[in-house]
Amino acid sequence: MTRGNRIFMACIYWAFVLYVFVPLILMILMGFKDSKFIGFPIRSWTLDWYTGVFNDGAVVSAFGYSIAIAVLSTLVSILVGTWIAVLLEGRKFVGRAVIFGLAVMPALVPGIISAIAFRIYARGLGIEPGMGAIIWAHAVHNVPFVVLVVMARLSTLPKSQLEAARDLGADPMVVFLRITLPYLIPAIVGASIFCLLLSFDDFVRSFFLGGYDPTLPVLIFAKLRSGMSPEINAIATVALVVTAAIGIWAERFTRRMNKDSQS
Amino acid sequence: MTDTTPLVRIDGISKSFGKTVALEALDLDIAQGEFVTFLGPSGCGKSTTLRILGGFETPDKGRVILDGQDVTKLPPDRRNVNMVFQDYALFPHMTVARNIAFGLELKGMGKSAIKARLDEIMSFLELDGFGDRYPAQLSGGQRQRVALARALAPDPALLLLDEPLGALDAKLRGQVQKELKSIQRRTDKTFFFVTHDQEEALTMSDRIVVMNKGRVEQDGTPEELYFHPASRFVAEFIGETNLLNGQVRGMEGDDVIMDWHGQTLRGHVAPGRKVAQGPVTASIRLERLGFGKERPATQNAVQGRVIGATFLGSRMALDLQVEGAADATLKAYVDTTTGTSLGDGPVWIGWDADSMAILND
Repeated sequence: MTRGNRIFMACIYWAFVLYVFVPLILMILMGFKDSKFIGFPIRSWTLDWYTGVFNDGAVVSAFGYSIAIAVLSTLVSILVGTWIAVLLEGRKFVGRAVIFGLAVMPALVPGIISAIAFRIYARGLGIEPGMGAIIWAHAVHNVPFVVLVVMARLSTLPKSQLEAARDLGADPMVVFLRITLPYLIPAIVGASIFCLLLSFDDFVRSFFLGGYDPTLPVLIFAKLRSGMSPEINAIATVALVVTAAIGIWAERFTRRMNKDSQS
Repeated sequence: MTDTTPLVRIDGISKSFGKTVALEALDLDIAQGEFVTFLGPSGCGKSTTLRILGGFETPDKGRVILDGQDVTKLPPDRRNVNMVFQDYALFPHMTVARNIAFGLELKGMGKSAIKARLDEIMSFLELDGFGDRYPAQLSGGQRQRVALARALAPDPALLLLDEPLGALDAKLRGQVQKELKSIQRRTDKTFFFVTHDQEEALTMSDRIVVMNKGRVEQDGTPEELYFHPASRFVAEFIGETNLLNGQVRGMEGDDVIMDWHGQTLRGHVAPGRKVAQGPVTASIRLERLGFGKERPATQNAVQGRVIGATFLGSRMALDLQVEGAADATLKAYVDTTTGTSLGDGPVWIGWDADSMAILND
């Protein structure tokens, strides 16, 4: 690569970084501005918006509601997804491709379509909009990611380890609990974080299937309709910090696990 | 074979994978304390036999009797057989000690009994001090010993070894061969070893079963197989040999009289075996040929000349041409002193009838 090319490539890279991060940085900055109006110049700083957020019962409960939904839907996704992955990986049977296709498809259906479909179906079944319906929709949407991540990990587990465990006296259940599952932990942790973030972030499904209590994204949406306020910036910043921290921890954790388990 | 009940009796087992026949009606007895090696090229059925003994495959036909009990349909976790895997299959998330204790825990042994057995087996295999390490922190040779320790710890009646030396470098392999043989002697365990490496088989085994295309080619001690191969396959698979294609003229006692390029030679067959007149192949090992300026006193002697010599250090490899027959060539190993003294002139080549094996096919 010539020097000119290198500079050109570097420029494109930094332009991309700015494009991604400038809005985030502006959003964070405005959350500390001592004025109701968003925009420059910032004459004085304040933490009032943050204290306001933490004292706003609606925001705190929406935050808790979102986290509860994220945790529960992730648990369901992990259980179902891991089960499907273990069922499918390394086995050949009639209909395997069909089962795999059906399990992975929800990831490809646009959110708005599946949300409306869920809404109609849930009503038909007499399921009330609310927490259960949201968890259900989030879990269905997230299972494919769990299946793919866990299957990828499972495919690298040497068959001889399963046979060695059988050979040493373990029945299939003990093999699964003591060999397969520990091997899958990095994938399961990684998939869990991904599911948590997807669920926490979801607006469309939560909006269509929600009851009276709003999730955090739905609450932000509702607040936006009554006008932009630095309080929203403060809420978004808190959410950003929490999710980024989880994401970074998960990345480091899975990398360490992968390194440990290499023989 | 001993006259007592064998530890393992393989009774007419066959196994096919789709249209591929892996094993055809294999019968075999293994005595307690034997080091038996299944030797053959890939796809000969040796690994299938091992996997059937381990319980990882079920034969289509036949039975496997272990210690008087029919174990043909028993899963691996319910038979008293352990295996050392080709890739060792150590559990990466467990320490060395946890790996070795795995089988003991599943046997339901108590904590103190496990600890005692662990100490015993680890010091026996010189693994003291490695208990807290993870497999990823060990060298190839150490991993191999951990795999061996893990398989031996539950005190199996039969130990299966699936080419466990394949992953080691050549220098280490020789040393491990000796160790393995000595471990087998000291534990008095029955080892069932599978390999495609004839040298490994020769150095360690009490008994070698040569397999080819799902059938037993020959079953015998390393010496029997080396000096008296029964078939062309065995003769060529184990060591280097001269194959002499000739015609059988008749038999005298247990000697076969054959004609080879106008030379009358005597060969050896297993006692009682009859060889019909017609085309035949005989095998004579390279180091079994002797040389002299005068006709030697051996039962077979032909006149020839050296047409090529390769210096190999302690010995020489010679290419020989039999007098009066352009197609009749022999290869030989001689010590360097003899080799250099032979020169280019005519030379007598002699060997005993007993060292020339008449092959089945």
